[in-house]
Amino acid sequence: MKAGSTRLAFSLAGLFLLMLLLFMADMLIGSTQMAAHDVLRALFGTGSAGDELIVMQFRLPKALTAILAGAAMSVSGLLMQTLFRNPLAGPDVMGVSSGAGLGVALTLLTLTPLFTLAEGSILSGWGVILAAWAGAGAVMLIIMAVSARMRDIMTVLIIGMLLASAISAVVSLMQYFSNEVMLRTYVIWTMGNLGNISYPQIRALALATMAGLAIAFTMVKPLNAILMGETFSRTVGVRMQRTRIVLLASASILAGSVTAFCGPLAFIGVAVPHIARLLFGTTDHRILLPATALAGAVILLLSDIISVLPGGGQVIPVNTVTSLIGIPVVLWIILGKTGLGRRF
Amino acid sequence: MTRFILSVITAALMFSSCRNAGDNKALNPGAGTPAPGRLTIEKEKHYFKVTVSEPWQNSSGIKHVWYLVPRDSAMPAGISEAQTIRIPVRRMICMSATHIAMMRALGAESLIAGISGSSLIYDSVVREGLHNGTIRDVGYEGNLNMELVVSLAPDLLMAYGVADPSTGNTSRLSETGVKVFYNADYLEEHPLSRCEWIRLFGLLTGREKMADSIFAGVSGAYRDLAEKVSDAVTDRPDVLLGAPWEDVWYVSPAGSYIGRLIEDAGGHYIYSDMTGLNSVPYSVESVFRKAMEADLWINPGAADNLAEIAAADPRLAALPLFREGNVWNNRLRVTEAGGNDYWESAVVRPDLLLSDIVSIIHPGLMPGYVQIYYRKLE
Repeated sequence: MKAGSTRLAFSLAGLFLLMLLLFMADMLIGSTQMAAHDVLRALFGTGSAGDELIVMQFRLPKALTAILAGAAMSVSGLLMQTLFRNPLAGPDVMGVSSGAGLGVALTLLTLTPLFTLAEGSILSGWGVILAAWAGAGAVMLIIMAVSARMRDIMTVLIIGMLLASAISAVVSLMQYFSNEVMLRTYVIWTMGNLGNISYPQIRALALATMAGLAIAFTMVKPLNAILMGETFSRTVGVRMQRTRIVLLASASILAGSVTAFCGPLAFIGVAVPHIARLLFGTTDHRILLPATALAGAVILLLSDIISVLPGGGQVIPVNTVTSLIGIPVVLWIILGKTGLGRRF
Repeated sequence: MTRFILSVITAALMFSSCRNAGDNKALNPGAGTPAPGRLTIEKEKHYFKVTVSEPWQNSSGIKHVWYLVPRDSAMPAGISEAQTIRIPVRRMICMSATHIAMMRALGAESLIAGISGSSLIYDSVVREGLHNGTIRDVGYEGNLNMELVVSLAPDLLMAYGVADPSTGNTSRLSETGVKVFYNADYLEEHPLSRCEWIRLFGLLTGREKMADSIFAGVSGAYRDLAEKVSDAVTDRPDVLLGAPWEDVWYVSPAGSYIGRLIEDAGGHYIYSDMTGLNSVPYSVESVFRKAMEADLWINPGAADNLAEIAAADPRLAALPLFREGNVWNNRLRVTEAGGNDYWESAVVRPDLLLSDIVSIIHPGLMPGYVQIYYRKLE
């Protein structure tokens, strides 16, 4: 047992190291060509003004956002999968991302003309973020209210999915009645984006991520107990109603904040917890939680590096990259090769 | 507005008479000369044959042929009725602001029965018509009010195709007997080719000579100015175009409408090496890097002042051209609802548009000039 836990500790350290390496790689590889020593000089404030702007205002915030968003989304997915004991659950099953999307759609598709931002719009920073946060928060409160009344967690899951579908229908209706420019703005938002986030916004995202992760880490024991079944959990003294609400709150804060700042990076939340389980061969949340956070950061950093099509200047949406990485993993699970589904 | 249009026409007539006085310089290829556009008009004995090649974006090898037959003459043999438009038309629906601008320039606004997207119209006469009900808003593609279109009984619906329209509502109209003409003016890359579509409106409304003389005047003035600039200019300031959407900057190709105007106005578009027809998504980082060296920024989206740009993406405020305040947008003539004359009358007056841009890039060449479409952001 001791040898096993040492191995796991080493694996976690290795994953952390990989994250640092990819963080550096993300700083070095951008959509414009810059020599490694110029990047380092810019980082330490001795580079040319142009290089410093590129590194400090474009690459560093993007890489930091990738780490925060990757960790937050993945842990949110892990919490949902364990809570609902469902391998295909993700941050969006409760409609939190849809709620954020509704907030954004309300600002972009209906309020925009009032601010005459219509043609060729540059998005204004905080308005969209606050709207997304409000949307995610509203959905979270509804789900928590439902959860407090329902004994059966599967009922909560179904209600959450219905709510998500209803919200999507409302958003579709708004899209139907909006013009091309507004549609394009909204569609670009749905493709996810790590790059237009200022330092004050990163601080807010970091704060939300830290809060969500901190709550999750206090719930490691109940999470492990849930995997053994609700009846078992109760017998070992887990207060299910309270646990559910705390887990929903944590997952919603994580997913809602990321969606607010970066758009719906949903898929990463479904796929990464499975990657962590595969890598570490454990269902113990003491390991799984940090492993999922690190793996999420690693995968989003990697996706970001790929999405800038290194050196070419062009970009592809980061969401398409994460999905293309994530879909094979989910297929693998569905085809049952790893037997992960049986671990719930 | 009427006075403005009248002055446009007077000026155009003046230009055209100068041109007829035997000035052959404009025939030389070079500055300001357009490539062949998508519109071809052939005069036959009893009718006009109008061909639109590639009527929508990314269409390949598609040609629409129309026969414009005078209302009082017999139907020529060998011509399909479905492809025939009797001219002059009596009622027309114009789906694009550019169509409205051309009708207005010809003084044919009374023939407009319907338009699309009333909130985005700049023209005051058309807005007045909408207000008192003589002109109706028929909606657009997904929201197209087909019953209203049919009840307006237009001789022609002038549409524009964003993509192959065979599945859309607009094309279903043809089944109800409404003639739908796909106008490709907005796809023309050269400002003069875009303006030349006024000749089609001239034929349709029985104002052929007026349209030809407006076009000749405008293209003469455009070419003269472009040549004057190309002779006078020794250095070409670097120009940044467009604005980011989140972290993506859709970069227009060099041969685009505005790219062409910048080259003809003696500027150097920072993506002048970009070929192709469609805009390409670049990362903001890569555009920013190029923009560090640029001197001017034109068309920064919908921002109306520098603070709005800085609020949307604070990094852009670090650009030298931003600090020097060399940022210009095309929103001098806009309505509160969002109509912008840049998309309307400027399409008929590319010469004035070019003058605006020359005065921005090389103010020394146009002393005392007052911009018509462009304004400097504060």
